[in-house]
Amino acid sequence: MENRSRITILMLPPALWLVLLFIVPLGIMAVFSFREGSFGAEREQFTLENYQHFFANRSYLNLLGTSAWIAFQTALIAVVLSYPLAYFLSFRAGEARVTLLTILIVPAWTSFLLRILSWKLILGSGGVLNTFLLSLGVIQEASPLLIYSRAAVVVTLVYVWIPFATLPIFSALERIDRRLLEAAADLGCPPWEAFLRVTLPLSLPGVIAAFFFVFIPTLGEWVTPALVGGAQGIMYGNLIQDQFVRALNWPLGAIMSLVLMALVLVILIIFNRFIRISDLAGA
Amino acid sequence: MRDFRRKRSVLSALCLLVITSFVLIACSAPPPAAAPPPTTASAGAATAPAESTTASAQANGPFVLLDWAGFELPEYYPTFTEKHPDVAPEYAFFAEDPEGFAKAASGFQFDLVHPCISYWELYVSEGLIQPIDTSRLKNWSGVSEKLAAYGMIDGKQYFVPYDWGFESIIYRTDKVKTPPTSWADLWNPEYKGHLSMYDSGEAAHIITALALGFDPWNTTPEQDEQIKQKLLELKPNLLNYWSDSTEVSQLLASGDAWVIASAWNDAYVTAKNEGVPAEYITPKEGRVGFLCGYAISSKTKNLDLAYDYLDALLEPEAIAAMGNTNGYGISNIKAIPLVDPELVAAMDMDKPEILESTQFYRPLDDAQREQFTSMWSEIKAAP
Repeated sequence: MENRSRITILMLPPALWLVLLFIVPLGIMAVFSFREGSFGAEREQFTLENYQHFFANRSYLNLLGTSAWIAFQTALIAVVLSYPLAYFLSFRAGEARVTLLTILIVPAWTSFLLRILSWKLILGSGGVLNTFLLSLGVIQEASPLLIYSRAAVVVTLVYVWIPFATLPIFSALERIDRRLLEAAADLGCPPWEAFLRVTLPLSLPGVIAAFFFVFIPTLGEWVTPALVGGAQGIMYGNLIQDQFVRALNWPLGAIMSLVLMALVLVILIIFNRFIRISDLAGA
Repeated sequence: MRDFRRKRSVLSALCLLVITSFVLIACSAPPPAAAPPPTTASAGAATAPAESTTASAQANGPFVLLDWAGFELPEYYPTFTEKHPDVAPEYAFFAEDPEGFAKAASGFQFDLVHPCISYWELYVSEGLIQPIDTSRLKNWSGVSEKLAAYGMIDGKQYFVPYDWGFESIIYRTDKVKTPPTSWADLWNPEYKGHLSMYDSGEAAHIITALALGFDPWNTTPEQDEQIKQKLLELKPNLLNYWSDSTEVSQLLASGDAWVIASAWNDAYVTAKNEGVPAEYITPKEGRVGFLCGYAISSKTKNLDLAYDYLDALLEPEAIAAMGNTNGYGISNIKAIPLVDPELVAAMDMDKPEILESTQFYRPLDDAQREQFTSMWSEIKAAP
């Protein structure tokens, strides 16, 4: 009994935090999505017109699709690149793993904006890559499209997310009982087959976790596309930001945000049929 | 056992790393501009002290300006400080007009506000500001009549014009073979992938209307549709959308962009100073001009202070100092001889014919604002 009340007391601050700063604002946003306008008299009128406008306009949903595609590519590439890294750290690095992990994370301690802006130096017209390609004669003229493009958004985001994709895979690999691999070897299983039939399946929850770790925040991303995306690399998040900051169309911005959340929810529910979300937490 | 402990320490180290990284990411990301907390600078507001010399003007609570950052310098209003040494104006800053308007409209208490022309009518229609009695401003006689006329809404002078500037086309002379001479030249396929546009639906509407030969402020629904189609045709030329002058300078200097639309003249001054080969043109349809000015809150308790502050801003030495520091045009014509001749030349202040052909932004009503912003969202969302 005493244990239970202790848990209640411990749970209270985070629960309050979530309700006040997450659930309540979500409710406010849902209310806003039905308002006619952001200010004055329009604020008091409720309407469904905003929803009609949103769904009648295919370009918004198309952009959401494009953003989902960008997020999918980013998450996939980040996971594929992170797996060998995590594997090396877990199986080969030995005592050096903590040091190596720290080194992996250190870039993430510098400013997020700084890391994104530094890609301008690499990909820009006068950047490292353009200069290199020019000197090789591969291209005749420096192209700004290496930076202001969808590909630049994917490259930059993959770079940003690799450390975070590595961690869940690493911790899944760490949990694998090494005796299973010894047993596989004893039974005559070659290492590559042991990897495919033992290591990979057991690390799959970590891989899926890493995928969503990258996919979900990327779907709503707006800073990176604003800085390196250019006109072609615009993402859905930029449109949401525009509605709140520039267009003063809070109702439309609220609808866009809710639709984005709904999409993430649907994807998670579908995945939940195959892999339980609670498994991802490593329970 | 040893192995287990090692794992535990690895995992807790991991957790720490992740948490720190997330905290750092959260901290380094730019603050959302949607609804920032009221940041009031310069604390220590004056509460009407007994020794106030002038009986007419006493501060009732803090004297608050809702303003752009950079306009709070004491040298922009020295005569106000002389007259009211005990009153320290407080400043709440906004970074974009919609942000300032959102703040004012959601009940933020201010005495003076400094929006730009597109948002002027919205302040009036929301009842946020009151008409100005210009006879109370001794420096009013110096204000350009052309600019003052823009501050008249419903036959009343609601705004005191203060600073203005141009928006035009700037291009890299070494990259472009056929220099642009009109707004319609932005569609020249030669600039494919090298054109940067101002991230504003209003600016896009105006320059496209000018390119098509329409009156930007009186377009028919059919013309609006044509403007939208025309803008969609511009997408292959488009490199990116710029949002501030620093970005314009960088785009130009790096050579990423060859042609930049709606660039402000300070970007041209920067390019010249940096030795970037660039030219600032006067399109044959005219340049576009922005104009910003001050208005008095309808709920002010410091009306006399507000008038004194406005008059101090218009003081020739003071407004010339603002022009010299910020590189903007000034509304008080009498102060032009006090402005740095280089700035006068850069702004073409000495060429009245350019100002005459300039299409200044106009106050937008709610419907126009919504039309421009939703058109722009659709254009940006389009592939």
